[in-house]
Amino acid sequence: MDAFEIELKNCFLDEALQITAETEPCLLKLEKNASDQMNIDQLLRNAHNLKGSSIAVGFPELGAFTHEIETLIIKIKKSEVKAASDVVNLLLRLNDFTSKMVRGLKENFAAHFEFQNLVDEIHLLSSQAKASAAAQSSEMTSQFENDENTEFNQEISNQIPLHFSPLAQAVQALGSSGDESIRVGLSKVEKLINYVGEMVIIQSVLQEQAQKSESQALKKALHMLAKVSKDIQDISMGLRMTPIKPTFQKMSRVVRDTAQSLSKQIEFSVFGEETELDKTVLEKINDPLVHLMRNSVDHGIESTEVRLAAGKPAAGKVSLKAFHRSGRLIIETSDDGGGMDPKRLISKAIEKGILKPGSQMSDKEALALIFKPGFSTKDVATDISGRGVGMDVVKTNLENLGGEIEITSEVGKGTSFRISLPLTLAIVESLIVSYSEQKFVIPLTHVFETIPTRDHTVQYATGVGEVILLRGENLRLFRLGDFFGIKSTKPNEDLIAIVIRSGTEPFALLVDDILTQSQVVVRQLSPDLAGFSAVSGATILGDGKPALILEPADLLKRKINHGSKPIRTHFEGNAA
Amino acid sequence: MITIDRYLCFSLGSEEFAIPLLAVKEVIGVPEVTPVPQTPAYFLGMMNLRGSVISVMDLRLKMGIEAAYGEETTVIILDLGNYNLGVMVDQVNSVITIDKNHFAEKPNVDSSKIAEAIMGIFRKEQSLILILDIAKALSVQDRSVLNKKLSVA
Repeated sequence: MDAFEIELKNCFLDEALQITAETEPCLLKLEKNASDQMNIDQLLRNAHNLKGSSIAVGFPELGAFTHEIETLIIKIKKSEVKAASDVVNLLLRLNDFTSKMVRGLKENFAAHFEFQNLVDEIHLLSSQAKASAAAQSSEMTSQFENDENTEFNQEISNQIPLHFSPLAQAVQALGSSGDESIRVGLSKVEKLINYVGEMVIIQSVLQEQAQKSESQALKKALHMLAKVSKDIQDISMGLRMTPIKPTFQKMSRVVRDTAQSLSKQIEFSVFGEETELDKTVLEKINDPLVHLMRNSVDHGIESTEVRLAAGKPAAGKVSLKAFHRSGRLIIETSDDGGGMDPKRLISKAIEKGILKPGSQMSDKEALALIFKPGFSTKDVATDISGRGVGMDVVKTNLENLGGEIEITSEVGKGTSFRISLPLTLAIVESLIVSYSEQKFVIPLTHVFETIPTRDHTVQYATGVGEVILLRGENLRLFRLGDFFGIKSTKPNEDLIAIVIRSGTEPFALLVDDILTQSQVVVRQLSPDLAGFSAVSGATILGDGKPALILEPADLLKRKINHGSKPIRTHFEGNAA
Repeated sequence: MITIDRYLCFSLGSEEFAIPLLAVKEVIGVPEVTPVPQTPAYFLGMMNLRGSVISVMDLRLKMGIEAAYGEETTVIILDLGNYNLGVMVDQVNSVITIDKNHFAEKPNVDSSKIAEAIMGIFRKEQSLILILDIAKALSVQDRSVLNKKLSVA
C-alpha cells in the first residue's frame, strides 16, 4: 500500500468518525420528532456518504454494513418503517458499531468484523413492516445494490427536493458556526505554542534591557511589540480550544439510554454547547460527566408514580450547562428530582462507618459526604450507577485536572452539581518559590494559603516531626528542601509556610521566600528525569532559566519512600 | 553500502573522541543550567534551548575522565530521535570524514561499559580518535537517571 493510499484511508477514517459522531444527535432528534424530514435527510446523507466513501477507499466490509443502515433509513423516509423507539435503538446501536468498525480499521486496515446478527435485526425489523411495502422496499434495495454512486446520488437528490435548497446545503457544509475550518495536527499547534512562549520570554528580556536605554522610539516600539505578542499568545493558546459540544452530545445519549433502561421520562436540555476548552481537558471530563448524568437520572429523578404523587410533571428535567467565568470553565448539571436529605446522608454515613455516631455538621458538609469513598445512598446497587465507587472517583478525577466540584440539593426540588475547571492544562497559575539558591514552581490550585511562620507556634513532637499550630489545627510541617536534600541557611522564623490541602493529608511546606505569582507554560520533563516523583513537569521562568514544577500532594509520598531515617538533623530545638 | 560518514571530533581531557554528525543537532557555549536535586554528579541539570527544557550531562564525569573547565568547554546538543540532550565536552575540534573500513580493530579490553560504547578506533596521523556510540555511552537505554538511582538505593 503506498503512502497516498494510506493517507487517503486515514483521512477517510477520521472523517467517518466525525460523521458517526454527528449522526448520533440526529438519531436522538429522530426519536423526539419522527416527522422532521430535514433531519431524516441528514441521516440519509450521512449514511450515504459513509457507504460511498468506504467503498471508494477500499473498505468493502464497512461499505456493506453502512449500506444496510442506509437501506433502513430510506425505509424510514418512505414511511415504510416507523421511527419508533425500537428502530431508533437499533439505529443507535448500528451507529455505535459503525464507529467501532472505524476505530478498528484505524488500528488495522485489514480488520475484520462480525455484524451478521445486526444485519439480521435490520431485516427482521423491516420485514415487520407491511407486506406490500416490504415488497416495494426489497425492490428498492436490489436497485441500490446494482446502482453505483453517480446514479445513486441523483436518486437521493430527487428524493429530497423540497427541504434541501442550495442555501441550506451551503450552510450545512460550513458547519453550525458558519466558520470555515481546516484540520491541523495537535503537535503542530503545540510547536507553535512553544515558540510563542519562547518569544514572550525573549521579549520580556528585551524589555528589561530597554529600561536602561534612553531611546523613546525603542520603548514605544517595544510597547507595541508587547501588545502584539500578547495577542499572538492568546490566539495560539486558543487554537487548542475546542467546543464542548461533542461531549455534551454524548451526554444526551447517556441520559437517553439510562432513562430508557429505567423506564423514566426525561426532558434533557443543554446550554452553552459552543463553550470552548482545552482539548486535553475535554478528553478527561467525559467519564466524570457520564457518571454525574447517570446519577441524575438514576438517583436524582424519581419514578413517574412518585413524581405524579408529588404534583410534579411526569417527565423529569435534567440539564447540562457550560460557560466561562473568571478564566475558568464552569459546568453545571441539575435535575428536578427528589433532592438529598442532609440528615439521611449523615445517618447513612454513620451506618457505613464513615462518620462517628453523634457527629454534627452543616447541611453543606453533609452533602459533601457523597464524595467520600464507599458512600452510596441507594440500598440496591444498580447496573447504572454502580456501588458507590463513583462520586469519590469523580471528585479525584476532577481534582487531578485542577478542578473542583460542589453540590447543592434541596429535598423535593432537586440536586445540582457545579464543576469548575481550568481552561487549559498548558498554562498554570503558580507561585514561584525559592529554597536556598533554587527556584521551584508550585501550582496555585494546590496552595490553600500562605502564612509567615513567625506568627504561629511551631513545636516538635516525637514520632510526628514538626507541627505548626494554625487556628487550632495541628499541621505537619516540612521544609521543601527536606524532600530534595537541599539545606537552607535561613532561620525557621523567617520562612514562609504554604498550606497544602490537595492531598490525602494536609501539611505545611516551608520555603525561603515566595518570589512571585505568575502563569507558567508547562513543558514536559526530559525522559532522563522520568519517574521524578512529586514533579509534574518543568517550565521556563521569566529570567529564561528552567525550573521544576512541583506536585505538592505527592511530596509526602516522596518523603515516606526515601526518608525513613529521621530528618531532624537541622532542626535545633526551635520550638517557640 | 555506503561506509563513508562524517563525524564530529571533540576532546575529553587529553583524549579525542568522535560521534556521528547525524546525532548532533547543534553545538553551543556553556549555557546557564538549573541543577536538579538528587541526581548523579554527571547530571548537570536542565537548560532552556529556545523554549524547550532539555537535560545537560557532563560527558567527562560520565566517562570517568577528569574534567578541565576552560575557555573551550562546549555543550553538544544531541538529537536522540524523540528527544534532545546536551553533553558537556572540553573542546570541539573538527568534522572529519571517515570510511568505516578504515576503522582500526578495537583492542580487546575488559568489557567495561565505556569500552562497549566504543564502536571503533581511527588513526589520524599520530593520534587516535575513539569513535563513540553516544547512546551507549550515556546508557540511553535505561534513560532515567533517577530510576537508576532508586534501584541502587
